[in-house]
This record gives sequence, structure tokens and C-alpha cells, in this order.
Amino acid sequence: MELSEDDVLHILKLIDESKFDYFQLEVGELKITVSKGDPIPLGNSPQPAAISAASAATPKPAPAAPPVAAAATPKIAAIPAGHLAVTAPILGTFYVAPEPGAPPFVTIGQQVTEDTTCGLIEVMKVFNSVRAGVKGTIVEVVAANGTFVEFGQTLIIVKP
Amino acid sequence: MSVTRVLVANRGEIAVRVIRACQSLGIESVAAVSDADRESMAAKIANRAVCIGPARSTDSYLKVENIIAAAQGTSCDAIHPGYGFLSERAALAEACVDNKITFVGPSAENITMMGDKLEARKIACNAGVPLVPGSDHARNPREAALLANDIGFPLLLKASAGGGGRGIKLVSNASEIEDTFRTAAAEARAAFGNDTLYMERYVGNARHIEVQILGDQHGNVIHLGERDCSLQRRHQKIVEEAPAYAVAPEVRAQMCHAAATLARSIGYQSAGTIEFIYDNDSQDYYFLEMNTRIQVEHPITEMITGVDLVAQQLRIARGEPLPFKQADITFTGHAIECRITAESPQHSFRPCPGLISEWQGPVGPGIRLDTHCYSGYFVPPYYDSLLAKLIVHASSRTESADQTNRALDNFHVSGIDTLIPFLKVVIANDEYRAGKVNTRWLEKKLEDYAAAQSG
Repeated sequence: MELSEDDVLHILKLIDESKFDYFQLEVGELKITVSKGDPIPLGNSPQPAAISAASAATPKPAPAAPPVAAAATPKIAAIPAGHLAVTAPILGTFYVAPEPGAPPFVTIGQQVTEDTTCGLIEVMKVFNSVRAGVKGTIVEVVAANGTFVEFGQTLIIVKP
Repeated sequence: MSVTRVLVANRGEIAVRVIRACQSLGIESVAAVSDADRESMAAKIANRAVCIGPARSTDSYLKVENIIAAAQGTSCDAIHPGYGFLSERAALAEACVDNKITFVGPSAENITMMGDKLEARKIACNAGVPLVPGSDHARNPREAALLANDIGFPLLLKASAGGGGRGIKLVSNASEIEDTFRTAAAEARAAFGNDTLYMERYVGNARHIEVQILGDQHGNVIHLGERDCSLQRRHQKIVEEAPAYAVAPEVRAQMCHAAATLARSIGYQSAGTIEFIYDNDSQDYYFLEMNTRIQVEHPITEMITGVDLVAQQLRIARGEPLPFKQADITFTGHAIECRITAESPQHSFRPCPGLISEWQGPVGPGIRLDTHCYSGYFVPPYYDSLLAKLIVHASSRTESADQTNRALDNFHVSGIDTLIPFLKVVIANDEYRAGKVNTRWLEKKLEDYAAAQSG
């Protein structure tokens, strides 16, 4: 039996969502070993990608770089124990409301279900809705309106 | 165009290579990484990393809009595409123009014309570069059969939208042509969304010789000599060397001149490579295709010329004229590159991703290792298997091969299988040492090796 790339990705996702720390699957010649422990960085980590310590600490040799938030660090929200995160399904500009001036999609204290739209992310003029993906009460909207967010970045914290 | 902060839209060793070139020029870099590459070396050494999507490359490294959004979101004024992924997609170069971002590479127009392999043949022909005897667009099996009689067998059926060894079928005799045409057309439609096919005579005893060129925005185009990339498996290069030791100096000079003329004829900017088929028997050379990007094997040219090609790409992109003329380019010694991949020679070369528990590369005079690997690195299963390029530069081909063998002996990798044991066998081989190889030679060695392993 041959496993396709889709099969493997699907298996990894299932394992990632499971409670197992270590998982080994053997199908004929093929062996998949997955560990959620330290050395194997698989699955969806909610932190933004690495920011090199050197670049954070030392001033940049920025020649004529535009004076924008250069290597700005997206806010890392530590998720309190017992809480869940709504993460960015795509990178782009995050919006809390359907249009400027309109009430936000969600407010603190609001109950949401998996399908509740919590915001929009714009990538090259295409708007993608952000679904909660979890059920619970909104505790905090971490990402600011109109800011650039990375794939997988924590946007909203929900208490189940 | 300014180039002050570069989004590196690639992964693996080339992302590291580009970031280092940026550092050498005082340019900031932002590594665009997929979810699986958050902990990669590129992410660590860049000024910052930005996650552009999930592990699967069609949702991350291959998404033009994600790359552009990442560049804008991190205030990059330039994008370097590396090789593979979006490097030869005109859509990225176009999107850069539309969004006022400098694309570190050629124009979208040049990418498009050279991406169409039939169009490329016409351009080469107009520039006076010899072509492999072949046909224009063959519209149907009947027409192909007629055209084939003029070309002779065996021949290759090629997809115009292919290239890089993809979309090629060998036709041994007239009875096969119509059936093979139908299969090839269907495959080309599925793989490239374009079933335009053409034919070329098959050169059995051939070498793959390619010429490195650089062009700036001021009309200057020079060549940086040739490379011999004949050691291939399934049309993918495994060992490359420079200069092309087996081709007579006067023929090499002609090829280099032809390559520069071709690039000049289309106003080419940035680094590019013109690939030729060289017939070992007749000593004729023929244009194959042009690659409009930096290539995997660029370091061997850097070693024998002393020119940093990636840094030159960045300088060209910011509008600087080439700092040297053709006469300033000189060649010293011989360089060999081995591609170290995560494949298991002991198990019919199957891919071998996983955790590298030990990674200890060779060091010494003339040894260069371009890699993104380290002890404790997890090789993700989602991407190609290239782990490192071992490049050895010495005064002669023999010395370079000797040094390569010693370097491979001192290359210690644990946790995953790599191509190293097989590469040792290749570099030590007598025929290889004597230079008696062609583009089919390595396939035979692979079969022998696999047979020896199982027997």
C-alpha cells in the first residue's frame, strides 16, 4: 500500500490533535515516527517564527531602510492554562470588523462556536474569514486591528 | 530600485546562502518559512522570520500572494526567490513589479520566453546558437510520425512547458511514436496544463555542459565559464564540476561565447545558465534550454572564478553595473560539487527524512559546505531531499577528486541515511577518474550499486 502526501499530512494532523506524545505507524516498507517532544518540531506551534536574538538586540546595519517597524516582532500571546487560541489560517492583514467603523465580529465575553467568524485576514485584496475553530467565551483579542499577522499566529484567546 | 531588506522566498541551503550574501552586503534579510521550517537555520540566521503558511509548499512557498504579503508585512523592498519553487514563475516577478518590490532575478518577460522551451529554441536559433536537430510544435500523432522520419530515431518527445528534465519521453523507433505521443501529451496536460510537444534527436553519448552568465541593467553580459553536469539520475544532477574538463578549450570558448550572445540578445539581467548537450562522439554542441535563476551548482563556478554570484545578483538588482569585464574573469583550478541528499543508497535510494542526531561536515583547505543542516535538525518530509552541497576546489581535477574522497570520508551523519556512501563509490570509480562518462553513466552505477546492496 502506498501512502500519498495527503495521507501523511492527514495522519500527522490527526496525531497532532490527539493526546499522544509519541506515535509510530508502519505500513509495509513505510514507517512514520512522530514525537510531540522537543527535538521534532512538527505540528502547529502557535508562536510566530523565530526572531534571531542577535537581530533583536543589536542595531541593524539598516542602510537606507524605511523607518518602519523593521524586524518588528509580532506580539506573542502566552496562552493561559485552560484556554484555547484562535490562530491565523493565513498570513496577511488582520481585521476585527467587516469594514471600518462597523462593529467587530466578536467582543470580549461573547460565546462562540467553531463556525463563528471572528475576523478577516486580507491577502492581496482577497478577504479570508477567520473561524473560531473552538467553542467557548472570548477572553481577549490579542492581534490588533489592521496589523500584519503570520500564519499560525494567535489572534484571539477563548475560554472553553 | 532599492534593495535594503530582502525577503528570502525559499528554504534549505539556498535560503541560508542568500541570507549570507545579504549579510556580506549589509542588507537585511527576512526568511519566509513554512510552519515546518520555523526552527530552520534560515529562520535563525535571518534578521527575522515570517511564517507564510502550512508545511505543504503549495500553500506556502508556492503561493505568490503569500510571498508578496509577507514582503509587504515585513517592509521588504526586494524578494530573492532562490531556485525551484517560484524562481521561474513569471507571476512572482510580475507581482513584484505591480507592488513596487525589486525581484532579484530577470524580467518576467525573460522568464516567460525561456520557460516556453519551443520559444527558447527560436530565440537561440535567432542568436545563431546551434540547436539539437528537431521539430517545431508537433500537433498530433500523425504529424509527429511524419516529422520523426526527418529527425531519425531514437528521438525525444518533449513538452514545451517542461524543462529541467521533466516532460521528456524517449522514442526508440517509428512504431512507438504515435502511442508515446498520446501518453506524453496527456502527461504534459496534467503536469503543466499545456500539451504542446516537440521533438529532438536523442544524443546517446552525451554530456550536459552549461554556461554561467551574468547580465546587469546596463546592457553588460558576461560568461563565467562552463560546468560539466553529466552525472545525473532521472535527469537530476548529482555531481557537477567546473571547468568542463572533457571538452576541447576552443569548443568551450565557442559555447561560452554563444551563451553570452544568446543572453545579450534578450537583454538578460541577473544570473542565468544556458544548458547545452555535448555529443562526445561528434564533439558538436547544441542548445538545450536556459535557466533563468541561480542554480544549485553555482558554487563550483564561484570557486574557480572567485566571483560571488548571489552577491552579484543582489548588486545587479539594485542597479549596479557589473564590476568586471569579460577579460577580468579568470579561471583557477578545478572544483567538484557533490549533492548530499537524504536518500538511502542501502534501500534503493528511498527518501529518508527524520532527525539528524549527528552532523559533522568536513573542513579543510579548499572545502566548502553549503548546508542548512546541523546536529539535532529534523529533516521534514515535505520538501526535496537536498541536505548539503560539498564543494571541493583544488589545482587539478585529480587533486579535486582525491580531496573530495577524503572529505566524504570525514563527513559524519547519523540518524538518517544519506547519499554519502554512494558518492564515495562514484568519486573513487576508475571510469569517473578517467573522465569516461556520459549522461547515462550514473544510472548504470546506481543499478550496480543497488544490486550489490541487495545481493
